[in-house]
Amino acid sequence: MNLIPRSRATDWIVDARKFVDETPTSALVALTIGTVSILSSLGLFFTASPLTSVTLLVFLVSAAYGWIRHRELTARAVTMAMTASMILILALIVVFIFVEAWPAFDVARAEVFGISVPGLRLFVQTEWAPRAAERYSLVPLIHGTVMVTLVATLVAGPLGVASALFVSEIAPAAVREVVKPGIEILAGIPSIVYGFIGFTIISPWASEQFDLVGQGTYLFVGAVVGLMALPTVVSVAEDALNSVPESMKDGSLALGTTDWQTMTTITLPAAFSGVSAAVLLGVGRAIGETMAATVMLRNSPQLPEPLYNVFYGYDTLTSAIAAQYGEATADQLSALFAAGVVLFITVMFLSIGSQLIERRMKRQLGGHE
Amino acid sequence: MSTITSRNSLVNGGTNRYEFVAGATIALSALLFALGMTALFEFVTLTDPIAGVPTVSVLGGLLVLIGIGVIGLGVSSSLELIETTPDRSAGLVAGVVFGGLWFGIGGIVAAGILGLGGAGWILPALLLGGGAFAVTTFTREDIGSTVPAGVLAILAGGVFLTGVLGPGWSYSPGSFPSDNAVTFFPSVIVPGSVLFCSLLVGWASAKAYAGFGARGRHLGAHVLIYLNALGIIAVLFGLVGFVVIKGAPTAFTEVAIGPGVGPEVSVLGLSFSLPVSWPFLMNGASVFVRVDGILPAVVGTVWLVVGAVLFAVPIAVGAAVFLAEYADEGRFTSVVEVATNGLWSTPSIVFGLFGASFLIPRFGGSKSLIAGMLTLGFMLLPLVLITSREAMLAVPDEYRDASAALGVSKWQTIRSVVLPAALPGVVTGIILGVGRIAGETAPILVTMAGGTLPAGGETVDVIGGFEFIATPPFVTNEALLQASSALPYQLYALITAGLGGPQFEDAPFTALEFAWANAFVLLTVVLSFYAIGITTRYYFRRKLNR
Repeated sequence: MNLIPRSRATDWIVDARKFVDETPTSALVALTIGTVSILSSLGLFFTASPLTSVTLLVFLVSAAYGWIRHRELTARAVTMAMTASMILILALIVVFIFVEAWPAFDVARAEVFGISVPGLRLFVQTEWAPRAAERYSLVPLIHGTVMVTLVATLVAGPLGVASALFVSEIAPAAVREVVKPGIEILAGIPSIVYGFIGFTIISPWASEQFDLVGQGTYLFVGAVVGLMALPTVVSVAEDALNSVPESMKDGSLALGTTDWQTMTTITLPAAFSGVSAAVLLGVGRAIGETMAATVMLRNSPQLPEPLYNVFYGYDTLTSAIAAQYGEATADQLSALFAAGVVLFITVMFLSIGSQLIERRMKRQLGGHE
Repeated sequence: MSTITSRNSLVNGGTNRYEFVAGATIALSALLFALGMTALFEFVTLTDPIAGVPTVSVLGGLLVLIGIGVIGLGVSSSLELIETTPDRSAGLVAGVVFGGLWFGIGGIVAAGILGLGGAGWILPALLLGGGAFAVTTFTREDIGSTVPAGVLAILAGGVFLTGVLGPGWSYSPGSFPSDNAVTFFPSVIVPGSVLFCSLLVGWASAKAYAGFGARGRHLGAHVLIYLNALGIIAVLFGLVGFVVIKGAPTAFTEVAIGPGVGPEVSVLGLSFSLPVSWPFLMNGASVFVRVDGILPAVVGTVWLVVGAVLFAVPIAVGAAVFLAEYADEGRFTSVVEVATNGLWSTPSIVFGLFGASFLIPRFGGSKSLIAGMLTLGFMLLPLVLITSREAMLAVPDEYRDASAALGVSKWQTIRSVVLPAALPGVVTGIILGVGRIAGETAPILVTMAGGTLPAGGETVDVIGGFEFIATPPFVTNEALLQASSALPYQLYALITAGLGGPQFEDAPFTALEFAWANAFVLLTVVLSFYAIGITTRYYFRRKLNR
């Protein structure tokens, strides 16, 4: 028994020493070689060196040796490395899109109270003219994304929550077995197929019906994107509704309430945070949806007049990247990466927000509060 | 309602008539909804006559009828001719909905029809909206939920009947500039308002049918929710069916089955003819073949999926094993969880940008098949990881304890107890994940996409592409480093190239038909993954429950 409180660092050192003492030397050697070789593979891959394959081979050999002689330790070490790679990949995405976007932010500096803020002009001026003036602005793109996402949320939110209620609370078992996979398949239809149908059927129809100039409306892109975000909302909201303890629902029903009363007074309020997390995730999906928007919109970033005119759709953050990436060079490319950065940050906020909400709900239903 | 029937014959007759009217109003609303749909999609034109009467008048007449019907239900309930159980109010939600609705109608009528410019529309809008809100919220439920809906239907029906919205009518908001102009025609307004009114009246009369109160709300809500589910399933079948009808005939052009009809292939030096000839899938697109096809795209998609699965599945399943079996809950696991969920919701185009900036410079500097494979692999990681981890956590702890009690080591337990039990879930997750990435366009658009209509000779040959050399990296594969096509990308390329003219001079179809067939093949590939995945899950779940 150690009565003296130890710091974390010494704790860690003691643990590590214990581990070294208890592990056979050959296993330690294999572990060291494996770690060094996989790290150097990564380093060499960054420099695009052909020697990457050599270090990778060394890693494979050491892993194979460890697998044969020290299976327990190797299994643990390899799976841990695989887990760590998830963090690595996210970090790499952040670093690479930020690095590529930096020139656009650097060029678009603007002074506020004497401080030069990088990238500010991307958000205060509204003109995107890569050819004529080499000016870039994310404002029209953000406006487009907001319009599409608003419409999509109006479609996916209420319909999605209603479908989740249907699937988890109302539908008889036989109907549920049809509706649930049906909604999943709706998510499976590739976005380019939605876009193709939108481009060949919906857009011409809308232009004719509303006598529009040209093709492409935020309204119908939003509706299509909402349909695509709907399955996300349904499946997450359904999980939340299912996690409400059956005893709570039974208690209410035993008082003689109708199904619907139980749903509105017990189930939905209890699952409220989970359901709102579902809607947030659906919003994230809608923001990131690319191909349907690219194919159905006009791909020329500008603001419609008046700003709430949903019948004219120009460009979104995603569609601008997809449509212009091919012919973009230098600054324009950086500006597209800047659009990617905005997308990434927004979606990451939504993701983390919905995780926090879900965690809170689990705690509450678990009765720890 | 059977308890009421014993009271006396007068009420008995009244109740029957009441139920009949309520049922008829619901049925008429359903009929109107269907008619509205057919009019919206132009299966019937508004000016065409139905039994000698113009369609628009028929719709208007039916709307007035259901409006009167639903108001009648509400009034007879409020005069207590019928025994119902209404609440004191229809509730704030209905109040806000009806208030907002009538606010909009007031505004549109004032600005569009009476022509009150500037802020002149606000006053009538406020008056009507406030009135509807007050009627809904402050009267008893039977009046509050029927009268605003019924009056709306009668108003809409009256407008159609009087011919205010005749064929020549149109409205375009004056504040919109000419290059952003919008015009509303009766061909959209009429079906749109028919659909809306029929939903509203259907809901109100469903409430009335069940006698208002808790039961009324229950029935009204159920009608809407069932309709919503039905609508979603209808959209699904509509979409899939539409693509099949449009695409299948072209995709199956000149398919022949019989010995020796197919193209010649050689396996292990043995060369023979396939017994199936399917030109659309077996040809490329070039002037040398009569039936142009999408072989390079099909092969490209197959290799993409193979590459992504080989890269991502081992890593994702390994990580899932670590998270479910080895790791203690701590800072590391919560960071991993945040990262995984973050990757799950990262937009596909951002993965594409990452692949373009990270992978392409390290694989020869141009778009390549391997960059596409790895980018899709990155996307597949979180999909497989999340489902696999869930499947492993669902394995009961008793299994692990039993195995540990026998003195079996941890990894042995995982391999022979946990993994087999979790396998169905893991496999389902992989299949559904593959279905998802097989249809992705955005990431491969920026990382590997090739030409618009590749010829048969441009089909990638990954197996034949491997070469061993004496200097590092010792093995190269030209095929992996070249741009390639894939089914979703090819569809995108066709759309951007323009679907107008007949692109294929000697082919038996146009460019548009070719694109539909491409969409059909893509959809078939993706949906078969989904069908297999969902069936597997269903099968194993039933087996578990038994």
